[in-house]
Amino acid sequence: MPLSTAFYNAIVKRNSIYVTTIFAGAFAFGVGLDVGITRFWDSWNRGKQWKDIRSKYVQQGESEE
Amino acid sequence: MAGLQGVVKKAYNLPVTVRTLSSGVPSTPLLNLAARAPAGHDDHHDHGAHGPRADIPPKWIGGVQMSSSSLLSKTMVTPPTIAYRGSRTIHTSTPAKYDTPKVPDFSDYRPQSEHTNRALSYMMIGTMGVLSASVAKSTITEFLGTMAASADVLALAKVEFELASIPEGKNVIIKWRGKPVFIRHRTQDEIKEARAVDWKKLRDPQSDEDRTKKPEWLVMLGVCTHLGCVPIGESGDFGGWFCPCHGSHYDISGRTRKGPAPLNLEVPPHDFNEAEGKLIVG
Repeated sequence: MPLSTAFYNAIVKRNSIYVTTIFAGAFAFGVGLDVGITRFWDSWNRGKQWKDIRSKYVQQGESEE
Repeated sequence: MAGLQGVVKKAYNLPVTVRTLSSGVPSTPLLNLAARAPAGHDDHHDHGAHGPRADIPPKWIGGVQMSSSSLLSKTMVTPPTIAYRGSRTIHTSTPAKYDTPKVPDFSDYRPQSEHTNRALSYMMIGTMGVLSASVAKSTITEFLGTMAASADVLALAKVEFELASIPEGKNVIIKWRGKPVFIRHRTQDEIKEARAVDWKKLRDPQSDEDRTKKPEWLVMLGVCTHLGCVPIGESGDFGGWFCPCHGSHYDISGRTRKGPAPLNLEVPPHDFNEAEGKLIVG
């Protein structure tokens, strides 16, 4: 069975499954976009954010204030 | 019609509905072999020159004659090739001689199979649905986010308090969101007293266990539930709080016992930070 037929039979044939898949896909897409952009942001600003330079200012066991 | 030289007889195909005479010739009593387009019948249209029709050979070339026994076609001159343009007065099934325009080959653009096309269409629809659903979701989320308290408001909404600074049996009043909050470090006797009361018969029945997260720490809003005065601690008939405005008495668990106050003193949401010995109100 070619991929297109498998796709049609598995997902599209029943509208309930199709719509559910669309919503699940939207959720996954949102999460994936968020994670991806955050990862890109962190790599773009590497060495500039507080979590990167925190070890230079706060020693182990020292209080943060 | 090129190559008609020498041909004197030519059969015309007529519709099968035509009756055949006994001689084998189709009966065409109304067939006008000299039919011409009515020249100049339409003066409002200037296209098309008047005069002899281009699609009918001129009469002097020859033509079809009808005798009683046969149809005879005579050609005196070889006529030039006639391209059929426009209407023909006699319909025959003679194939058109002009070249049919070449139709391009579209097979590269046709789908390999119907199923591929269908799956692709649904795929595009589904992708569109996924995108619009996530756009709608983030629109709603962002809009609701504008209603949430901002970070500076949230930072003021919590108060931390060092619990070790309150000795047993003492009251402390702190300010939280512009209201006083009573914190009492209760002694064991007071806890016993608060829990011994038959709370189901009180005006606002509430057990001491419900009002405190840790029995020795009583945290509540210092606002009288009657009209909003601030009660005085360690006074009143029940050893708890007493409101001087209208004489409401609260017991050691902050429950109303006497006077006009309808409800117990309110307990704000609070939590204990065990590691640092702190109380967080809010």
